[in-house]
Amino acid sequence: MSGGRSAAWLLLLVVLAGFTGIWRLQRKISMQRAEMHQEQDEILVRSPKLMKLATLEYGTLVADIYWTRAVQYYGGKRLGQDTNLASLWPLLDVATTLDPNLMPAYRFGATFLAQPEPRGAGRPDLAIQLLQRGIDANPEYWRFYQDLGNIYYLNLKDYSKAGEAYLEGSRKLGAAAWMKVMAARFLEKGESRETSVMLWSELYDSSTDEAIKQNARINLELLRTDEDIDHINEIAEQFTAKAGHPPRSVREMVQAGLMAGEPLDPRGVPYVINRDGKAQISEKSPLHKEESIYRRAL
Amino acid sequence: MSRVLIVARNTFREAVRDRVLYNLVFFALLLIASAVVVGQISMDIESVVMVSLGLSAISLIGLLIAVFTGVGLVSKEIDKRTLHAVLAKPLRRWEFLLGKFAGLVLTLTVNTAAMAAGLFLAILYLKHSLVRGDAVVLAAVYLILLKLALVVALAMLFSCFTSPLLAILFTGGLYVAGLFVAQLRNLQTTQFNPQTQKLFTVLSYLLPNFENYDVMGAAAHGRAIPASLVLHDTLYTILYCGIVLSAAAAIFSRKDLK
Repeated sequence: MSGGRSAAWLLLLVVLAGFTGIWRLQRKISMQRAEMHQEQDEILVRSPKLMKLATLEYGTLVADIYWTRAVQYYGGKRLGQDTNLASLWPLLDVATTLDPNLMPAYRFGATFLAQPEPRGAGRPDLAIQLLQRGIDANPEYWRFYQDLGNIYYLNLKDYSKAGEAYLEGSRKLGAAAWMKVMAARFLEKGESRETSVMLWSELYDSSTDEAIKQNARINLELLRTDEDIDHINEIAEQFTAKAGHPPRSVREMVQAGLMAGEPLDPRGVPYVINRDGKAQISEKSPLHKEESIYRRAL
Repeated sequence: MSRVLIVARNTFREAVRDRVLYNLVFFALLLIASAVVVGQISMDIESVVMVSLGLSAISLIGLLIAVFTGVGLVSKEIDKRTLHAVLAKPLRRWEFLLGKFAGLVLTLTVNTAAMAAGLFLAILYLKHSLVRGDAVVLAAVYLILLKLALVVALAMLFSCFTSPLLAILFTGGLYVAGLFVAQLRNLQTTQFNPQTQKLFTVLSYLLPNFENYDVMGAAAHGRAIPASLVLHDTLYTILYCGIVLSAAAAIFSRKDLK
């Protein structure tokens, strides 16, 4: 009996000590493997046609695996702040060839591809190609036209093509009524802050993906800061006319009775005045870093 | 120790008698056909395709042998009632288990070495010469062998307490799970709370990480495989096999064989 108990204790000891060693070894191995940069390991086969043949009747399942790999790949690169997304397009290419009805792969895939570095692959051309393929396979799905329009509007600044995409989408069965409104706005006015707010708000409301929602939220916050800064700058001009010199701080304008209080950015940090007497987001604000990333990309 | 070696030698002989090594004929045919076809259809990547194909075949064939033979090592002895005769001799149960493990690993080593030799012949046929950089293929083959040893240990563990069919399923399942350990560790999702994510991280260190052995990409492209990685993978395998075989021995020594 006691022999059995001591054997159990010994086994417990072996397991505990063993897994402690494994834990340490695994960390070392993971670091060494990370240094090897096995980029091509993400993709077993790059040829979608060959994959289609090789997967027999399991193409749909393999497409799901490839799409999952694409998401993990994109997420892993973002976590590691690695901007090289060279394998993203081949992964999406294979996934959508194997399963032409894999809607998320077109929609989110296009977003990953279109967004400028470091948030995406900076390849709106490939994003458009992917969406066109999605449209060919699923011509009645109006959301693809919305995504296409967004890429033309936000990434390529081609407002007429954005309008055309929205207009085409608005003709599809079940398309939201605002598709026609947005198409008209794009075609009439091109880029405007109000249109951008509408676009990002719609993306924020309709997306179920947290990364896309966060992206939309930050863009909306930055658009609000643009509006605030314009307003503060108008008051700064009044101050300059009155005082004979530009304001050195927002507080100075408040003290002069031109403002009721110090305006705060969407993250609750007061705006500041730079050396030229113009308003800007404070370096203390979390939005300052976001602005440097998002606006640099645009 | 000599008793363990006797069991190991007999296990190897038994595997040879069971025609386990016949797979080498299939592998040889595959490589000959590939060497001829690959040269015709691949542009500039003949050796890359050949190495990928050869290593994949070595891995796949080895895995099939490791799982199916590994599961049968103990269960077959119990079913045929030959185990009683073996254990009637002055042989401890853990010695029997360790001998069986060593015997199958020896079989796999011979099998893998023969396939590696075939692969090098195919590379030689394609490139007309071997260069120093081709040694990475050898390192990749060695890591495959380590992987197979771990699979054998797992198959033996499961076969100690469940039916052969379930043992095959468990081993196969754990192998597939072990290929996605890094994804499990880096899983960033809003669906889980931080505690669950922490649990996944811990789990990712407990599960056998079969990704550790995957250097096929580097080998196919002739990129160097760090010696320290090979060393750490070796230690990892020894340690993991030690834990798994200890658990298997503990279960097997308490098993009622009547």
